[in-house]
Amino acid sequence: MAMAASETLAQCLARVASIVGEEHASAAGEAICVAPANKEQIAEVLRLADVGGLCVAPVGSGSKWGWGNPVRPAIRLGLGRMQALREHAWADMTCTVEAGCSWAAMQNELQRHGQMVALDALWPERATVGGVVATNDSGALRLRYGGLRDLIIGMTLVLADGTIARTGGKVVKNVAGYDLQKLMTGSFGTLGVIAEVNFRLHPVEKDRLSCTVAAPEPAAFAAPLQKLLRWDLSLSSVQVRTGKEQCALDIALAGRPECLAEHQQRVKDLLGEAAVTEADEAVWQARQRLFESTLVLKVSVLPAEVCAVSSDLQQWSAANGMEVASVAQATGLMTVALQSAVDRGAELVEFLRRRVAACGGSAVVLRLPDALRSPTDIWGADPDSLPLMREIKRRFDPHRILNPGRFVGDI
Amino acid sequence: MLSSGQIAELRAAVGADGLLTERAQLQTYECDGLTNFRVLPGAVVLPRSTEEVQAVVRICARHKIPFVSRGAGTGLSGGALPAAGGVVISLARMSRILQVDLANGYVVVEPGVINTQVTERVRAEGYFYAPDPSSQSVCTIGGNVAENSGGAHCLKYGFTVTHVLALEVVLPSGELVHFGSPTLDGPGYDLAGVFVGSEGTLGIATKVTLRIVRRPEMVQTLLAAFDSITAAGQTVSDIIAAGMLPSAMEIMDRLAIQAAEAAVHAHYPQCGGLLLVELDGPCTETEALMREVQALCRGNGAWEVRVAQSEQERAVVWKGRKAAFAAVGRISPNYIVQDGVVPRTALPHLLSEIDTLAAAAGLRVANVFHAGDGNLHPLVLYDRTVPGQEEAALDLSYRILHLCIENGGSITGEHGVGKEKQQALGAMFAEPDLATMQLVRCAFDPDGIANPDKVFPRPRLCAEKTGPYVPHPLETAGVAEFF
Repeated sequence: MAMAASETLAQCLARVASIVGEEHASAAGEAICVAPANKEQIAEVLRLADVGGLCVAPVGSGSKWGWGNPVRPAIRLGLGRMQALREHAWADMTCTVEAGCSWAAMQNELQRHGQMVALDALWPERATVGGVVATNDSGALRLRYGGLRDLIIGMTLVLADGTIARTGGKVVKNVAGYDLQKLMTGSFGTLGVIAEVNFRLHPVEKDRLSCTVAAPEPAAFAAPLQKLLRWDLSLSSVQVRTGKEQCALDIALAGRPECLAEHQQRVKDLLGEAAVTEADEAVWQARQRLFESTLVLKVSVLPAEVCAVSSDLQQWSAANGMEVASVAQATGLMTVALQSAVDRGAELVEFLRRRVAACGGSAVVLRLPDALRSPTDIWGADPDSLPLMREIKRRFDPHRILNPGRFVGDI
Repeated sequence: MLSSGQIAELRAAVGADGLLTERAQLQTYECDGLTNFRVLPGAVVLPRSTEEVQAVVRICARHKIPFVSRGAGTGLSGGALPAAGGVVISLARMSRILQVDLANGYVVVEPGVINTQVTERVRAEGYFYAPDPSSQSVCTIGGNVAENSGGAHCLKYGFTVTHVLALEVVLPSGELVHFGSPTLDGPGYDLAGVFVGSEGTLGIATKVTLRIVRRPEMVQTLLAAFDSITAAGQTVSDIIAAGMLPSAMEIMDRLAIQAAEAAVHAHYPQCGGLLLVELDGPCTETEALMREVQALCRGNGAWEVRVAQSEQERAVVWKGRKAAFAAVGRISPNYIVQDGVVPRTALPHLLSEIDTLAAAAGLRVANVFHAGDGNLHPLVLYDRTVPGQEEAALDLSYRILHLCIENGGSITGEHGVGKEKQQALGAMFAEPDLATMQLVRCAFDPDGIANPDKVFPRPRLCAEKTGPYVPHPLETAGVAEFF
């Protein structure tokens, strides 16, 4: 959305500068970059935008800026000045952090008391709390600790009309009122701006070891993986990495030292003593490395389908002369990257959607080249609850100023 | 009241044997587990299928008749209290387990399935359904979804919402929609997450896909007797500080122990503070952790530390704990159960404040709580036949909730707001917070016919605008900015 006709860029810039201070407002092409210092300033900027019908895109570090449908904001609302870990109630194992804090900076602070938000986000050094939450990112730790919906206990958000609202609280167990933090998580900034997040915390995994086993194709792992997940092992993460003609099953165990050796032995007994080797912790960066490709998807399948889908994908890409790599978590969440013939990305997207439809899964395009953008349906979903989602959007943001069109169904 | 035409429409929707209109029949439904609120509904319907639920809700939508859905009616906050002259939709006849998928760790059930039936169905295969409210042998999954029920083991395993993967929902318009999926992170808003715990105000769940959990290799339950609640509470803090996450940590005070003993003879030691710790997981790990827990108990002055030696002994220990509410009936003619939450570290302070308030009111309070997550269940004991005592007891129970708010906590950890705590919700959240929740309510139910006049402090209209920012009560009280 371009600047409202009635107001020039300069006029608008002057007005936001009066809210946040001149040094925190600047023009960048057709947009204004504004960096509020606190939730009250966010509210003021949003009120101004709401009245003027100006499109606003909340931005953390911009590490996932291209996710979702493209938006051309009149105002880029940067959360970069809101980086404080407001509270770390370590004895209660909770924290409150501002949305602009980087994931790694938050974790470093929490680590001082041996605690963490039990989620491994992409690009933790850059990615901000707000961005991770808005895109509902999660990594390999999800198997053990759940996703953001299980870790967020409260939130402060600012609505399009400037309303500052709190939801949830600072206690882990709480059923008072609607759970708006769940609505906000993964809503891609379309319902409000996340200003602060309250998390429940877990102890850092002090004693942890990773091992790996290789195979030519992932179907080989299907049976042992099912077995592994049915045992009561101190599993922290399990992933299947698949590339051209090779794949690996990675397993991380975390727990008391006296159990780890025993559990590692059980893993070896299952997968073959000789085949299992100790793995570097860097294997858990595999998902992030896939984002070096220009076409990347988040694919969700049933947990028991992980190996079968990975295998089918491997065979399909070989048959079609495309290089595809994937990292699949045991939870059923996969990251898939096309590493050659990117111009034929649409074929991959179509194959994956057809393949996962059978098990009720989904395939969302996270990254793709600009040339493919307009013909590609990023979200690939048309849930029967879409009219209700649109109604929620209409209630929260009646003038459609917050990331309009970014989300599913052009919400 | 419902007109004869409306009654006829309802009869056509569910059949004559699915409709109750006689006063004596309706009285069965006039309250839930919170018996001091009673309202007679206009009719009760007992649909057998999603289609019948839809048909009933469409009739309600067309005539703007308020409806209240109901499971087993065990709720403790009046969430299933009928709307006067409205329709109660009992899901009791929709009680089939529709699908079990062990490979993917889920089951699909109808809302009338009893909580324990889920575990019973998958136990032989080595799985269980984790949320375990004390009423689990009678309460329904539909009710658990409405209330986001917890239980003793949510410290480790999470709440109902943690275990709901997908829902089939009849919206207040009668439209059928699906939220979530057995696969994670489907595109769109997390409507399943919002729906769970919405206390019947957003629609009716007619199918629920639940995550089931692999049974742990070992479960060990320990009882430790302390002279005081404070010492028991300190042990809980020490266990957490040691980086352990037990599946449950419960504390009972002397009065609660007496009551439980009188009711189920759990062989609890008579003491000032009884701590129950349950650990589960791989054998070697569980045994190692249990040794650490025992040492921490003794370090804090526990004079009896007992680990249940058999499954039977474990069951008895839990029976005493889970029967604690009802057991209080043995030592007091009447009682009120409350459900506050505070940060765990605020528990000792809160308990002493409760003592002070109770003494001032001249009433006894028995304390049972999920200590691991700071969820208290103070039981305010009173005698209805003594003039003024019921009012004093109610007043005390609400004061306790306000204490929880002042200490940075919540007015409900698992029982829900319902009818009982509507006003207290207004003390916990500021007007803009409530107005924002109302946006969701209005998107789902613009006419406000689904469980009206519950949860929120007063009836609201969907056209109401949100107000300007006002400081949160916690902020005004100086509680929210203590960092």
